[in-house]
Amino acid sequence: MRTAIFTLLIAAACASHAAGGRVFVSNERDDTVSVIDATSNEVIATVPVGKRPRGVGVSPDGSEVYVAVSGDNAIAVIDPDKLEVVRTFDSGDDPEAFAVHPNGNIYISNEEDAKASVYNPRNGEKIAEIEVGIEPEGVAISPDGSRVIVTSESTNMLHIIAVPEHEIVANIVVGARPRAATFSADGKIAYATSEISGEVKKVDVATGTILGRMPLADDKAKPKDVLLSRDGKRLFVAGGRANSIFVLDADTLEVLDTIGVGKRVWGLALSGDGKRLYTTDGVDHQVSVIDTERDDVVATVPVGQFPWGVAIDD
Amino acid sequence: MSPIPTRPLPRPLRVCLTGLCLVLLGAATASSALETRQVRIGFVGAHDGDAMRGASQGIDEANAQGRFLGWHYELVPLADAAAARGAGVAMIVADAAPATLRALADAAAPAAVINVGAADDALRAACLPNLLHTLPSAAMRADAEAQWRRKHADTTATARAWHESFRKYAAAQLNRRYETRHGQAMSDVAWAAWAAVKLVSNTIATHGEAAPAQVHDMIRGDIAFDGQKGADMSFRDTGQLRQPLLLVDGDTIVGEAPVRGVADPGDLDTLGLAACAR
Repeated sequence: MRTAIFTLLIAAACASHAAGGRVFVSNERDDTVSVIDATSNEVIATVPVGKRPRGVGVSPDGSEVYVAVSGDNAIAVIDPDKLEVVRTFDSGDDPEAFAVHPNGNIYISNEEDAKASVYNPRNGEKIAEIEVGIEPEGVAISPDGSRVIVTSESTNMLHIIAVPEHEIVANIVVGARPRAATFSADGKIAYATSEISGEVKKVDVATGTILGRMPLADDKAKPKDVLLSRDGKRLFVAGGRANSIFVLDADTLEVLDTIGVGKRVWGLALSGDGKRLYTTDGVDHQVSVIDTERDDVVATVPVGQFPWGVAIDD
Repeated sequence: MSPIPTRPLPRPLRVCLTGLCLVLLGAATASSALETRQVRIGFVGAHDGDAMRGASQGIDEANAQGRFLGWHYELVPLADAAAARGAGVAMIVADAAPATLRALADAAAPAAVINVGAADDALRAACLPNLLHTLPSAAMRADAEAQWRRKHADTTATARAWHESFRKYAAAQLNRRYETRHGQAMSDVAWAAWAAVKLVSNTIATHGEAAPAQVHDMIRGDIAFDGQKGADMSFRDTGQLRQPLLLVDGDTIVGEAPVRGVADPGDLDTLGLAACAR
């Protein structure tokens, strides 16, 4: 009987942790991370992390949350249960965006150094360093982990890096100031946003062929983050100055829907079930929560100053 | 448009130190390494001036991009218009007086000459076929200042192409790169010269062509150039590069033009002569 009750308690505790998960949002000007309960859409904690936090990511097992603390040249590790920074490690100069590999390593763009670096976040060791173009920014990893894309903003390129060799195998020229990229589920296609040319490009990763281009808001959007829906059919693009999320057909790049959110929307994260999309609306200091079945904003959550990165641990 | 693989040398060659190995190295380069195509960019102006520093910065960044694609850029100083004839350059960056620029354009055709030092309005109005301008014209600066005065009746500001304290839109990164390399602040002319080289190298990277007439045609198209001022830039038919300007009071940036509220910030043609007279 006692065991049964104990088991129930444990199950209840786990369920409350898992239900909807938590959304971690870096506030670039506040030096904090806001933690939003995804069920109530309320901020349940504000964690001080260090100067100018930007990229956010979750370890594959959900046991750790990583934050690129650009101003401190470090990665801060947040314990998602304690909701506090449990350790930090040196990440090279000015870490901006990063992505977590299925094997747990993280791939970071070091903006000032024209390098991408690979770290084992468990011990803070640097595994590799790859020279890329000027002002590297977006990082994406193919679902099977065999390829990494780093975008270099002032060199207008997607660098395709092979894993585990950590060598560049191709360089694909795209529009001006490429900011973010994402892979299709099979890793064969990549989508990239270019801020200055105001467009999304679809590329064949193996051949580098540009398969399509879609200007957003007459080239005026200044798009940033880009993500595919869980079924791979729709592409979500954070429209920056267009203050909207663009929903594109992943095949044709046709704009299917435009969802108005707050000002200067930069960051995107999708829930595990794909039903909720979280956006960081930089100048409005808020996160918008979108129901992806209705393509509607169902909640806006005030966070810190200039929210930048967002990740969910569900 | 296809990506060009970049491969490190095979391990045995990386450890090669002797003259004997050079023979092997030559063979390996021919068979496996990326073929590098040279691009010569002409330069007319003082060898120790801001235009030279800006152009050199542009060459560094062009090579940072070109090494991934098999292009190598080199700045070739030219003494005068006569030297431009048959110099084998893809285009020319020039910091010179209006009369010299006209003679250069004449001699260099079909290569483009990009003016980075003269704000002269008559040069824009002349609409010469192969003379382009990355430095803003005097009229563009006057319009920017007038827009500022219309919005802020009691204050004046000076319009600039660039400023060392500019930080937005990755301007901070460009200022830092320039200051690290040259030990001084990036001026308007240095920015214009950097932009001239960079917009050409970006276009060559995109189209895979570096012949002078093609370079001129390509840069006259919809280049959406990122001059690290937040806007996508392209050339008017006058040859002038459309661009936002900074409004500076003393040493402080107080605004950007087109000035929001009195002009559409997205309409860069509210500054200066928008098109050639027909």
